[in-house]
Order: sequence, then structure tokens, then C-alpha cells
Amino acid sequence: MPQPVSVTDMDATILGAWMATGLTLFIFSFLYQDNPLFKLAEHLYVGVSVGYTIVKAYDTVIVHLIVKPIVEEGQIALLIPVAIGLLMLTRYVPRAAWMSRYAFAFIVGLGSGLAIPRTISSFVLKQVEDTIRPLLFQAGDGLTFSFNLLNPASSLNAVIILIGVSTVLFYFFFSIEHSGPGKIVARTGIVFLMIAFGAAFGYTVMARMSLLIGRLTDLIEFSDVSYGRPTWWLLMLTIAVLVLLARRVPNRPPDLH
Amino acid sequence: MTFSERMLKIDRRIIFMVIGLCTLLPLLYPVGLPIKISPEVRNVYEYIESLPERSVFLLSIDFDPASKPELHPQAIALLRHAFRKNLRVVAMTLWVSGTGMADQLMKQVSSEMGREPGRDYVFLGWSPGGSAVIINMGQDLYTAFPSDYEGKPTRGIPVLEGVHSLKDVTYAISLGAGNPGVEAWYVYGKDKYKFELGGGCTGVIAPGLYPLLRSGQINGLIGGLRGAAEYESLIEQKGRAVAGMDAQSATHLAIIVLVAMCNLFYFSLRQQKGRG
Repeated sequence: MPQPVSVTDMDATILGAWMATGLTLFIFSFLYQDNPLFKLAEHLYVGVSVGYTIVKAYDTVIVHLIVKPIVEEGQIALLIPVAIGLLMLTRYVPRAAWMSRYAFAFIVGLGSGLAIPRTISSFVLKQVEDTIRPLLFQAGDGLTFSFNLLNPASSLNAVIILIGVSTVLFYFFFSIEHSGPGKIVARTGIVFLMIAFGAAFGYTVMARMSLLIGRLTDLIEFSDVSYGRPTWWLLMLTIAVLVLLARRVPNRPPDLH
Repeated sequence: MTFSERMLKIDRRIIFMVIGLCTLLPLLYPVGLPIKISPEVRNVYEYIESLPERSVFLLSIDFDPASKPELHPQAIALLRHAFRKNLRVVAMTLWVSGTGMADQLMKQVSSEMGREPGRDYVFLGWSPGGSAVIINMGQDLYTAFPSDYEGKPTRGIPVLEGVHSLKDVTYAISLGAGNPGVEAWYVYGKDKYKFELGGGCTGVIAPGLYPLLRSGQINGLIGGLRGAAEYESLIEQKGRAVAGMDAQSATHLAIIVLVAMCNLFYFSLRQQKGRG
């Protein structure tokens, strides 16, 4: 009788390296033009993500949080949330769909009750408290104004925040025309907004480049002989497929811009 | 067609190639540019450094493999630091798609640092409910996670001795790539149960978290791969983040040059059209 083939950790690592390399290169091939290899990798990504999520959710929720506690530990009270959850499924039966409203009402009510006070406390009150800071500080006998830009709590930074918050709020105040002195204030608000957008864009560029660095670091690692050089083999395969596809569709130039 | 017009209509694949080369070459031939430590990253490091041995450190690995290049090095650096300080590490995730990756991460770093599951750390896995899990943990940790990732009952695990809820956590860090992440941990965790909180995040969401940092709602922030590199430098265990910093600087320089050139050609073209 043949012995079952055992997949060792080493085999799994090498297989994983080939999979990761192949899928990375297939996705990168889109930078040249749309092609079937990219579509394959894209569909695999979506399928695997959804499949993994379903399996983990089933195992954690259904098996470990519902079935086991009820059957093995006799926690009958868990049947109440299970029943509320099952009401959601009545959406698929038109005659009984009204029952799902009870489940939705429960979730919306609970969610709002939890979120609203906490969000107001954390994002409104705390931020307002932080924005309204004294412009002058008590130092020794008198009041002082600190000019240190590098210290977030300095007087100069407090003034900048005061101007920024006031002018941006004014910019979004549309009930009066932004003309005369109001135009200067609104324009100042736009400058603050542009600086914020610039900072956000800069961080976004940094993040995207970090992802590229991560993939290229893996490709370099997987070009090693210990993995069987998947980077080189699969790079050749990807280029060959792109060349073949370019020859098969000569009348359709790629979108260059 | 003038030179400016030709440059503005350049094949975008040439730009992809330039960016690719600017990333690849420094990875192959690193020069080791200096890394300056920012106060927000140093704050996280110093807080962990100040914790007494066997303090409870909660690490919420709130990301999935899509954000791995940025947040995985942060998680590795933080775990190395926590294990080196002999803290009790309680790890978990609020992202179901990141569960397997988080488990692998815990096993990899704990085995490297010679730490044992159950005694030095526990990986609780994922529990459904998103932000509600945090509230649940604030009331009773064992209701939110009746068993750990391996299926062992959490009650009785030595590393959780004396830990009943989030109130017993000394320091928590959420490494978040979105929602639920750092903000959720502040709103539903720290603000209600009063434990100290730090954050780690992807570069995209870092600017949105700076207001929380300034107001003291979080005590430190590790932002993106750059933040991970700073943390690796602080613990003196350089890894993938530090290795990627030369490439990061080179690509940033390339993008600045490209933006400047694009503007130059655009204004040059506009001037030519004005003359015409």
C-alpha cells in the first residue's frame, strides 16, 4: 500500500515561496498591460480572502462560540443571540422578511448606544479640549510666550493651531460670501487644508512605496538557490507570456497614458 | 511636438521602471543612510522600557497580509522588545483575515526569543464583533475569548494569572491598518477602561492619528515602515524595515524629482502656448 506523501515544513516554505513569487509577478505584470496572468492572480486573491474568512468565521463563531458551549457546557442562554442572528436570514423569505427588522433594530440600537457617547467623548470633547490651549504660560513671576516650533505644546504652535482651526472652519461656513477680509481668512483656511492634504499624500506615497519594498525584498529573497530560484523562473515565464500575448493581439496597442 | 509636450506624454511604463529601479538598486546595494528617531516612536520604546518585569502587555495585531510590509516589522520589533523585557504578552487580532499571519508571527518571534506559550505569552486569536470585542474584553476577558487560538480554555493559562479584564492590562498597543484599529482601541478601550495605549499604523492612516497623539490620547505612534525602522534601531536589532530605508529614501527622491520635472514641463508648455 503506498504511503501518503507528507508535506514537511520545508516543502511548505518552498511551495509558499513559489506561490508568493508567482502571484507577485503576475500582479506586477499589470503595470505593462492588462493580461490573463494578472486576472488569475486577482481572482485568486479575492477567492482565497473570502474562503479564508468564511472558514475562520465558521470555526470561531459557529463551532467554538456557539455549538461547543451549548452542547458541551450547556450554556442555553446563548440560544437567544443565535435566535436574533437567525432572524437576519428571514430576509431571504419574502413572507417572513419583516422578522429581520427586529434583528436589525437590535444591532442598530446597540451599535448607536455604544458608539455615540464614546465617539463624542473621544473625538469631539477631547479634541476641542486639546485645541483650546492657553497662548501664554506661567513661568516664574510672569507670563511667557514660547517660540519653540518643535515643541507641540509651545505658544507659537498654539497660535498656529488657533489660526488653522478658525480659518478652516470659516472656509466651510457658506452662509456669507467670502469677500473682502473674509476672502483673506478663507484663503488662509485653504492654505492650511492644502498643507494637510500634502502631508496626507506624502504619507500615502511612503506607504505605497513601503508595500513595493516589501514585495521586492521577498522577490530578492526568493531568488536564492535554496528556494529553487522561483523569482528568475517565474519572471521568465511572465515575460514569455506577455510577449506571446503581445504577438497574438497585434492590432490592439496598450494604453500608454 | 515640443520637448515639454513629449515629456508630459511620456509612456507611464518608463516612470514605473524608474521607480522600480530606485527601489531595487538600494535593496541590492544598501548604503546605510542614518535613521533619526522621532519622539513619537521613542515614547513607545521608553514606555515599554519603563515597565517592570511580568507586566501585562497587550498587542492587538489589527491588520492582514495586505499591510504586512509596513506593520509586520513593527510587530516583530515590539515583540522582541517585550520578550526581552520579560513582559507577559497577550496577543490578539480584530481582523479575521489576519489570524493565521498573527499566529505565525507570534510563533516565529517567541521561538527566536526562547519564550514559551502559556507561560510567557498567549495568542487569543480572533473574536467576532469588531469594536464590541474591546468592550467585551473590558468587562470580562474570558467571555470575549473563552479559548485561545489553539482551542485551550483561557481560564487557567499561567500568563493570564491576575488578568480579568482590560483594566489589568499595563500597556496596550494596536497595530492597525484601518478600522477596527488604533482609534477603536482608544474610543472603546482606553477612554473607558483607563489603561495606557500606544499605536502603530500604516503610513496612509498616520496623519489621521497625529491629533490623538498631540492630545495625549495615545502616548506614542509608530508610523509605517519608517516607524518600524526607527523602532528596530532603538532595540538594536535591525531587520527588514531598516534594510528598506535606503530604498524608501531613493524612491521619495525620485518622486520629488518627477513632480518637480512635471511642473517644470507643464509651466514651460503653458508659457509657450501663451506666446503662441
